[in-house]
Amino acid sequence: MGIILMLFSVYLAISALGMRVYNTFLDAPGFFPLILGIIFFIFGLVMVISAVRSGSVKATKKAFSKNNLITVLLASQTKRVIILSFFMVVYIYGLIGRVHFTLATFLYLIATFLYLKSTTLVKSAIISIVSALLISAVFQYLFNIPLP
Amino acid sequence: MFEAFAQQFTLFGSAAAQAFAYPQIFVTMIATIGGIVVGAIPGLTATMALALLINLTYSMQLSVALAFLLGVYVGAVMGGCYSAIMINIPGTPSAAATALDGFILAKQGHGGQAIGVGVIASFIGSIFSILILIFLTPFLYKIALKFGQWEYFLISVFGIMICGNLSTQSTPLKGWIVGFLGFFTAMIGLDAVYAYPRFTYGSYNLMGGISLIPALIGVFGISEILSVLQEDVPYSIESQLGRVLPDRAIWRDILKTSIRSGLIGCGIGAVPGAGEDIAAWVSYDVGKRRSKQGHLFGKGSYEGLASAETANNACVGGAMIPLLTLAIPGSPPAAMFLAAVWLHGIKPGPMLALESPEFLYLTAVTLFIATVAMLGFGLLLTKPMVGILKINRKILMPIIVPLTVIGAYAGNVNIFDIHMMFVFGILGYILRKLNYPMAPLVLGIILGPSADISFRQALMQGQGSLIPLLGRPVGLVLMLAIAWILIAGVRSNKRAVPASNSEGESV
Repeated sequence: MGIILMLFSVYLAISALGMRVYNTFLDAPGFFPLILGIIFFIFGLVMVISAVRSGSVKATKKAFSKNNLITVLLASQTKRVIILSFFMVVYIYGLIGRVHFTLATFLYLIATFLYLKSTTLVKSAIISIVSALLISAVFQYLFNIPLP
Repeated sequence: MFEAFAQQFTLFGSAAAQAFAYPQIFVTMIATIGGIVVGAIPGLTATMALALLINLTYSMQLSVALAFLLGVYVGAVMGGCYSAIMINIPGTPSAAATALDGFILAKQGHGGQAIGVGVIASFIGSIFSILILIFLTPFLYKIALKFGQWEYFLISVFGIMICGNLSTQSTPLKGWIVGFLGFFTAMIGLDAVYAYPRFTYGSYNLMGGISLIPALIGVFGISEILSVLQEDVPYSIESQLGRVLPDRAIWRDILKTSIRSGLIGCGIGAVPGAGEDIAAWVSYDVGKRRSKQGHLFGKGSYEGLASAETANNACVGGAMIPLLTLAIPGSPPAAMFLAAVWLHGIKPGPMLALESPEFLYLTAVTLFIATVAMLGFGLLLTKPMVGILKINRKILMPIIVPLTVIGAYAGNVNIFDIHMMFVFGILGYILRKLNYPMAPLVLGIILGPSADISFRQALMQGQGSLIPLLGRPVGLVLMLAIAWILIAGVRSNKRAVPASNSEGESV
């Protein structure tokens, strides 16, 4: 994490120095990002030094080893989060704005309920339909909020 | 003197008339009940609820919006005690300390009285903090008026540093990193001085900057949903409640503790970004050390339960003090509240006393009504609430996702905001997994723009030199405070390294 932070800080400093200077560098748009870059670099350096001193390098190497990465990726929690995030990506980036909000919400809910085995198929379908209709109606007509 | 007092009294009366009018009082009560239910359900936090509801208040009158949001806030912070006591899972992070004694009391068959103590302690804490809010804030306005650009920059950095220090369980460095990451997030978009695009990569959507509300919904909504649904842990409910109202002996036990915890909670609430959970833990720790029966803490002590519950609700009023005087929220839910009042054209800060002088009293009276409603409904709803705790989270949490989508979209009516909300949700989830706290990130996003402009303008005033700025007394105090936090943080970082070594801290 410390190394990532240091790399990010270098990127931040280079970007900041590349920003236009109007009067003096003190009121330039890049001044504050440059300060942030310096702060991140110091924080990153402290993290790296702390990790090296405490002997965490071995632990990091072990954490990023092929076997460990496979174990983490195949863990039930990881799989669950990846699949649930995938459903959200399809809903947010794929369906919203392309199909009607109510239909998109229904499809997202039923897919998620079925994957999580929240309840039976029939109940999942009923809850999905009722929730999608209710959310759409309440926000559009009761709160006068436009739907995406 | 008398004239000033009479003027404040008139403002108070006018604010009270607004808060007690219909529909405000009705909205406060309904919102408080809603908040209690939200707080009781594990996974739904006060912060998440407020983030989702901010945009709903857009078309409301200011006093109605306040009633709605403060009702939910007060109710949700207290509501967390139901699940903490009955199922040993805190409904909100602020109720984590409550579970230590509450669940043991529930297993002993005293769940009803434990909840009763929780509700009454929350009431005492809230009332305490409202009184401090009313009497202390006008004096702080006067101090805040002496703040210049340099002091505003320093108070922003102080907020990030102290919040980073207090909100992390491992090293303060993690809190500071996410705090400054929040500052960076606030840099994205057109520069406020020259309208120069920073980190926009040619995207017109990014030129408008990262909208605050979608980012907050992502960090507290999406990441929370993923965190709750990743685990498949069923829980059992202690359904034997017993009587709800505490008996005289319990009253005697909790009274002194509640007063002390009210002060602690309010004080911690006034620290930028610290929040209800920290208030509860600190108060619990102090209570354990100061009480004659401290050895019983963690073994089913009403005193322990009261110290945690009084402090977390006292934090609500405390968090409003820096929010109203300096526009710096004292806790993550208060950050949501700040975003909501900005939406209504109110600009908290030292000028608030001149621009909207009755806003302080309107907030305080609305908080008072919500607190009384919380006491009444909290005690009345104890038995039905046990039924609500049985709601299947695998059904509830997915239904919240469309609500986050609408919440992110409604402010600017822009699909891009929904996309950013999801990005922040995933970022929040990853940071949580790596034990990075979320409160400093939110504070950083909120304080970033003013820190940037204040710093640059202060340096311009000093004609490029820091030396003229160093002699300012308030600034000097703030610099010393920042240096002290930094030194304390570095020391605790050194202590935390051996511990993190065993956890496999990554390079």
